[in-house]
Amino acid sequence: MNCRWQMQRRKIFYRWLRIDFIYDPKKVSMLSKVLEERIYSLSILLVVVVVTASFIFPATFPTFENFSQILLNLSIDTIVAVGMMMLLISGVFDLSVGSIVAFAGCLTAYLMHFYQLPVPIAVSIGLLASLIIGWINGYLIAYQGINPMIQTLAMMGIVRGCALLVSGSGIQNLPYWFNAIGQSKLLNIQMPVWYMLITIAVFTFLCTKTIFFRRYYYIGGNEKAADLSGIRVKRMKMIAFIFSAGLAGVAGILLSSRLGAALPTMGRGLELRVITAVILGGASLSGGIGKIPGALLGAVFMGLIANIMVISRISGYWQEIILGLILIITLWADKALQKRYVST
Amino acid sequence: MRSVLFITAFIVVFSCELPPKHATQQNTYSRATDTITQIINEEYVMITTAVTMPMYVNHDQAAFKKWGEKMGVKVSILGPAEWDVPAQINTIEEVIGTKPTGLLINGTDPAIAQVINKAVAAGIPTVVYDSDVPNCNRHAFLGTDWYQIGKMQGEEMVKLINGNGKIAYMGILGLTNMEAGFQGMLDVFKKYPNIEIVGKYDDKANVEEAAKITADVLSAHPDLAGLCGFDSNSGPGMALAVKEAGKAGRVKITTVDWEPEHLALVKEGTIQLLVGQKRELFTWYGAQFLYDMVHKTNALSNNDRQAGITNIPQTINTGLLRITKENIEQFIKHQ
Amino acid sequence: MQQLRLEHISKSFPGVKALDDITLEVKQGEVHAVCGENGAGKSTLMNILSGNLKPDSGTLQLNGKFIQLKNPQDAFAHGISIVHQHLSLADNLSVAENIFANQHPKTSFGLIHYADLYQQTAQVLADLKISIPPTVRVASLSQAQKQMVEIAKALAKKPHVLILDEPTAALTDTEIKVLFNILDDLKRNQVSILYISHRLSEIFKLADRVSILKDGKHQGTFTTENLTKEQLIKYMVGRDLIEVKQNSIKQSTILLEVKNLSGKKFKNISFALHRGEIIGLAGLVGAGRTEIARVLFGADAKLSGEIIKEKNQLHITHPADAIANKIAYVSEDRKQLGLFPEMSIQENMIAASLRSVTRYPLISSAKSSQHAKELSEKLNVVARSLQQKVGQLSGGNQQKVLLGKWLAVKPDVLIVDEPTNGVDVGAKQEIYRILKTLADEGMGIIVISSELPELLSLCQRILVIRKGMLVGELPVADATEENILSLAAH
Repeated sequence: MNCRWQMQRRKIFYRWLRIDFIYDPKKVSMLSKVLEERIYSLSILLVVVVVTASFIFPATFPTFENFSQILLNLSIDTIVAVGMMMLLISGVFDLSVGSIVAFAGCLTAYLMHFYQLPVPIAVSIGLLASLIIGWINGYLIAYQGINPMIQTLAMMGIVRGCALLVSGSGIQNLPYWFNAIGQSKLLNIQMPVWYMLITIAVFTFLCTKTIFFRRYYYIGGNEKAADLSGIRVKRMKMIAFIFSAGLAGVAGILLSSRLGAALPTMGRGLELRVITAVILGGASLSGGIGKIPGALLGAVFMGLIANIMVISRISGYWQEIILGLILIITLWADKALQKRYVST
Repeated sequence: MRSVLFITAFIVVFSCELPPKHATQQNTYSRATDTITQIINEEYVMITTAVTMPMYVNHDQAAFKKWGEKMGVKVSILGPAEWDVPAQINTIEEVIGTKPTGLLINGTDPAIAQVINKAVAAGIPTVVYDSDVPNCNRHAFLGTDWYQIGKMQGEEMVKLINGNGKIAYMGILGLTNMEAGFQGMLDVFKKYPNIEIVGKYDDKANVEEAAKITADVLSAHPDLAGLCGFDSNSGPGMALAVKEAGKAGRVKITTVDWEPEHLALVKEGTIQLLVGQKRELFTWYGAQFLYDMVHKTNALSNNDRQAGITNIPQTINTGLLRITKENIEQFIKHQ
Repeated sequence: MQQLRLEHISKSFPGVKALDDITLEVKQGEVHAVCGENGAGKSTLMNILSGNLKPDSGTLQLNGKFIQLKNPQDAFAHGISIVHQHLSLADNLSVAENIFANQHPKTSFGLIHYADLYQQTAQVLADLKISIPPTVRVASLSQAQKQMVEIAKALAKKPHVLILDEPTAALTDTEIKVLFNILDDLKRNQVSILYISHRLSEIFKLADRVSILKDGKHQGTFTTENLTKEQLIKYMVGRDLIEVKQNSIKQSTILLEVKNLSGKKFKNISFALHRGEIIGLAGLVGAGRTEIARVLFGADAKLSGEIIKEKNQLHITHPADAIANKIAYVSEDRKQLGLFPEMSIQENMIAASLRSVTRYPLISSAKSSQHAKELSEKLNVVARSLQQKVGQLSGGNQQKVLLGKWLAVKPDVLIVDEPTNGVDVGAKQEIYRILKTLADEGMGIIVISSELPELLSLCQRILVIRKGMLVGELPVADATEENILSLAAH
């Protein structure tokens, strides 16, 4: 008798608080829709973080300069993340992207500096080199069946070595028009941010609307079933690696342009950062899920955290620990909430 | 529809701001800072790469913190844990927005020139330490002349092997200052035709790698006379391999840095010479310069800013430490 | 004397009441069958009995004592063993290590005593008259052998209550005989046996009593002597089922001709398929029927031979080629090879026919949902919405979605491999009806099945495959289960 009355009181209280979905199955489905889609839950989290940080650091955080700086600083990673998201959707990943970023930038700089090639030609050759590396990765992984982690790990070392060979200790003083690619501003926001937004927009469109990219979701969902459904899995996987390497090449050239120099140490640790961002953004190592905008949201989240740590002067020791913890907590909370509210 | 697209493209292209043509101006007018007349939230920020590297922590950062305590001002140390120059640049850019009182920046790579200029243009006193960054408007530089490091090693090695024999050397390939060091050493050896260079190696700042390379070189050249190392981990690695080959003391080793492990190896006789940097001086005096600039300690005119001058030294060579068996005891006590 | 008694057991999941006030008793030494369509609650009930799930309310009594099962190990300790429908074996370990999982005989040092392990396993297997060596790795066993190992695993601890969930689904006739002998032995030793199956003929042969579940509610318990097959079906499904047994009209045009087709596991297969005809491929598990289908479909490489469709020689290297030539293959293992379990019904249905839902070059979501809606209505797929994840559907509905995917391709030739595996009675009938309608509309269908009654009711001709060779072709009027089996088994 007593507990039923308590239950009733609790229900009334929850309804007053507007969280009566706990007892209402209809509303559960709306909440579960939000929680199922990482894009929504991550966006909410981002808003919470931005608002909180704006209260704690009102003078330095919520300014146009700071936000455009954050976006600029994550633009390179995000372009690579788009390619990585595609690969994770198909159920594989690429550890060589960091080295490709370095190599593309260094090769382009080398051609411009030592051979005086005009900027468009050097850039094209740099991009072509990245595509070829992607083709090699893709062919060996898709057609020869080499384990993707091992293949791309090996390629990571080889390509990094090539970058060192080509650029020694770095190439400075790159041509003006090359630097202009990455250093020009539009509406007071530096170009790499615009390129990043365009890349996200284009690939979001392609992945949701075209059959070609939709197929990757099937490949990631069940590779054998996809093959039997008429999807040429091997060919598509190879193409995915070409895209990933190509985007890394674009990012590398853009980074060199932004720095005005090509450093063989560019992109060190990039691959793990990008994979973390993409997983935060909704991808899974087992494949089949993830949306391109998630790559942007994941990268933005990591960029915000890094920025907040810089503003609050938390030393670099903590940055990696905090990022790792965030990844674990996010995934754990995600699983726990899914179990409660989403019927399996 | 199409015309709308055209017009948008037109506007987009024309509103693109191109970067300034001549990014650097060497004259002192641009070096002058808009020093803050009123100092709010006094804070000096050090930004480096490899922020957790023991050598940086024990020398540069320790001295910087000590200085902050002595002067009673806030100091912060930021930067990526890896040798990631673009990340260092990103950090500097984000810090500029928070308007620190002064910036102390590790000159890791010429590529950071642009962001240093940005800091200076934003009115922040900026000092570079360790390696200089060419073509930038930094207010002061404190560091070591790496060419001299190489020269000191070269000259010592010549003495140790009596001007003839085989030499191998290693360091981190791909760093400008290290290349300068190599050059200093090679220029000394040029004068001694009986000295043969058998190899230049990349130890990737890794003790195991240095040891492995040394072991390989010793097998290939059993009559190797000497080894020269240029990064912090070269010494311990080379010493390990030489000891394992049973040639401690017979193969001469000169290298850089003076961490406890290096000192122990000199005491034991495996390493003959350490060329040390006075890293504490980089950051202590660097911070002091920033402080003096901001507090106008030595104002040279009615208003240095208006006059377009800076009131701190421009370039300081902090000099080198020469550590051998003769003075090793002093350093061990000091630790 | 009762062995096991359940009283007022209920269990709900978010949005679904799986079991509603179930009261049952299982006597010592009796085989008690549990029947119901998929989704009726049988698996949930078995999961509760085996300790996997806790009931929301209700009690469990074993030999008169009230018990609470905390986890599967607890159930095992109480003497309740379950043989799962979906195998729970570790492929990479040996048979012995699987049977004695977690209870390895130990040496005095606490290390695993392998000699003892293998000897005890051999004993267990010999007692059950199962001829599988104990050292062999499970991965190398056939599906049927794996099922026998699973049974041995459940019996290794001499349980008082044995629960069997669709045990014969993967077994061939020889193994089924072994299993029935084992059950007879167990009965004589007063072990209670709960037997879940869709194979009604088995139930009438084996069981003493049958309990029927429908929509989570207990419909009744009857002795098998006092129940007819039609009555049983009626309780399960709630409607009268008419067995569709006429033969569709076979058109005279030859649709597909296969000449001397050879692949890695079969040689020199030749046959012809006419429009509107349903032919069957019969044979033992492992005879090579699936391999023939895969080569026809381009999933495996063809070693020699010709495939001719409507007078054109086909050159098929990949399923995409087959689909372009309007040949469809509904694979055997729908979970592993056919469906995308985390994707929605709609996405699954358009998977093989993406080109047809575009307003080129973009996917039209309107067209996709329209196609999916039409197909799921035609096939009577029961689900909350088309966006529901396929992995959550019952076996029968999953099979229909898979079928729908292939029908979307609008094939001329449809190959179905074990189309009603793990599918409940109602859905089975529906699938048969659909296949016959498709044939009437002119499609040529090849049915691969291990259920001979199924082949006999569906097909007009039955080809028998033995060890990769075509050993017989029987028109259905001349075919009986005996003569098919004798050709297939020799």
